[in-house]
Amino acid sequence: MVFNVVNAKAALAGLSMGLLMTIVLTFLCGITSLTAGIFVALAKMSKIRILRFAVTCYVTIIRSTPLLVQLIFIYFALPFVGIRFGPFMAAYIGLSLNVTAYLSEVYRGGIEAVPKGQHDAAAAIGMTKSTAMARVIFPQAFRTLIPSLGNYVVSLFKDTSLASTVTIQELMFKGQIAAGATYDYMTIYIMVFVMYFMVGFPAIQLVTYLEKRMKNGYARKKMTPENGEVSA
Amino acid sequence: MSTSMVEVENLSKSFGDNLVLDSFSMSVAKGEVIGIIGPSGSGKSTLLRCINFLEKPNAGVITIDGERITIDSHSPSKISGNKIAHLQSKVGMVFQQFNLFPHMTAKQNIMAGPKYVLKEKVEVYEEKAMRLLKQVGLPEKADAYPEELSGGQQQRVAIARALAMNPQVMLFDEATSALDPEIVGEVLAVMRTLANDGMTMLVVTHEMGFVRQVADRVIFMDQGKIVEQGDPAILFDKPTQQRTRDFLSAILSHTD
Repeated sequence: MVFNVVNAKAALAGLSMGLLMTIVLTFLCGITSLTAGIFVALAKMSKIRILRFAVTCYVTIIRSTPLLVQLIFIYFALPFVGIRFGPFMAAYIGLSLNVTAYLSEVYRGGIEAVPKGQHDAAAAIGMTKSTAMARVIFPQAFRTLIPSLGNYVVSLFKDTSLASTVTIQELMFKGQIAAGATYDYMTIYIMVFVMYFMVGFPAIQLVTYLEKRMKNGYARKKMTPENGEVSA
Repeated sequence: MSTSMVEVENLSKSFGDNLVLDSFSMSVAKGEVIGIIGPSGSGKSTLLRCINFLEKPNAGVITIDGERITIDSHSPSKISGNKIAHLQSKVGMVFQQFNLFPHMTAKQNIMAGPKYVLKEKVEVYEEKAMRLLKQVGLPEKADAYPEELSGGQQQRVAIARALAMNPQVMLFDEATSALDPEIVGEVLAVMRTLANDGMTMLVVTHEMGFVRQVADRVIFMDQGKIVEQGDPAILFDKPTQQRTRDFLSAILSHTD
C-alpha cells in the first residue's frame, strides 16, 4: 500500500507542530516585510543620495542571490565573525530581509504609478510631501498592490520550507525527521504535501478574489439588476 | 487699484532650453477676476503652476497676500517645503483633469485639506464640506466616489475642495477644457457665482464668452510674455496688436 495509515497517524502530531511553526514564521516575516518594504521603497526614492545608494546595494544583493544561500550564510557563516543568531532569529532575519527587498520594489512600482496629477492636487491644497504620501499617494498605490503583495506572502509561506536548513522545526523539517524515522517517504511526504496545500490553496484563492475586487473600482456598487451586478 | 493680492515680478521659467515665462510681471487686485488667454504653449498654465509653486520658477518674486517669496536664479531650490506648502494652502487650484482623489468620496475630497492641512475640528470640516457641496449644487453626491460622477460634477467637487482651504486666490487651469460642451455651463456657473462673491480669480481658459462676461481684465499671452491686456470688451473688439487679432479671429471663427 502506498499510503500507510499507521505511519501517518504516528507522524500527524509532529507534522502539525511543524505546520504551526511554518504559519508563525510566515506571519512574523510577512508583517515585518510588508512594513519594512514601505520604508525601503521610500528610502530608494529619497533625495538623500547615500541612503538611496545603500538601499540599492541591499536590494540588488538580495535579488541577485538565492534565499537558501542567504539563510545558510546568516546561520552558519556569520558566527565566524562573531555574529551569532539562534535558528529562529536567523530564519526570521533571513526571510524578512529577502522578502522586504522584493516587496520594496513592488511598493516603489505602485507608488510611482500614481499619476502626477494626484501629487499636484495634494500640493495644491497645501499638503506637504509626507502628508500627500500618507493620505493620497500611498493609499492609492497600496490598493492596486494588494494582489501582488498577497502573492509574495504566499511565496513566503512556501519559502519558509528553506528554513529547515537552519534547523527550524517547521513542516519540512518535521517531515524529514518523520521520514528518516520510518523510511516511509511516500506516506510522510504526501502528508507534508497536503498540509502545505491546505494552507496554500485557500491563500491563492483569496488573492484571486482580491484581484477581482480590485478591478471593480472604489465604489461598492449596489447589487441591482439595472447595473448588471446580479447574475441571471 | 486697491491692495494687490497677487504680485508677480520678473518671473522666469524654462524647461531645458525652452523659455516658457520670460521675465513675466503682473499685479492682481483683491477681488479681481482675470482671464488669461493665448495660444497653447504660450505659458499660461506654467504661469498658474508657478504662482502655486507646482513648478519651481527659475527666478522672480511672487507675493501672495503680502507674503513675499524671492526665487534667486543662483539657488532656485532654497525655499523650504513647509513655506511652499503654506503658500499653496492660500491659493486654490482647479485642474483641467479634475485630479480628484479617487479613493475618497466627494465629501472626503473636500474635507481632505481642512482635515489634514488646516487640522480643523470634525464638526467644523464636516459642516463646511456639506455647505460647499450645496454651493456647487451637489449635496446629494456627498458619498459618491469620483468614478461615479460625471466630468462636470467632478470638476464642481474639485472647486469645492479648493474652496475648503479658504483660499485668498483661485487659479483655474483650463477647468472646462476636458468637459463635454453641454456640461461646460454648469462649471462656468459655479465660477461665475464665485466671481460675483468677490473671489480673486485667475482663469486660464478658451471660453471667450465667459471672459467677456465675468473677467475684469483679460491678459493675452504669447511666448511667455503679456502681449496685450485690458478690459475684455475693449480688447476683444479693438485689439491693438496684430498677434492678438490673429489669435482672436482664429478662436472666434472656430467657435462660431
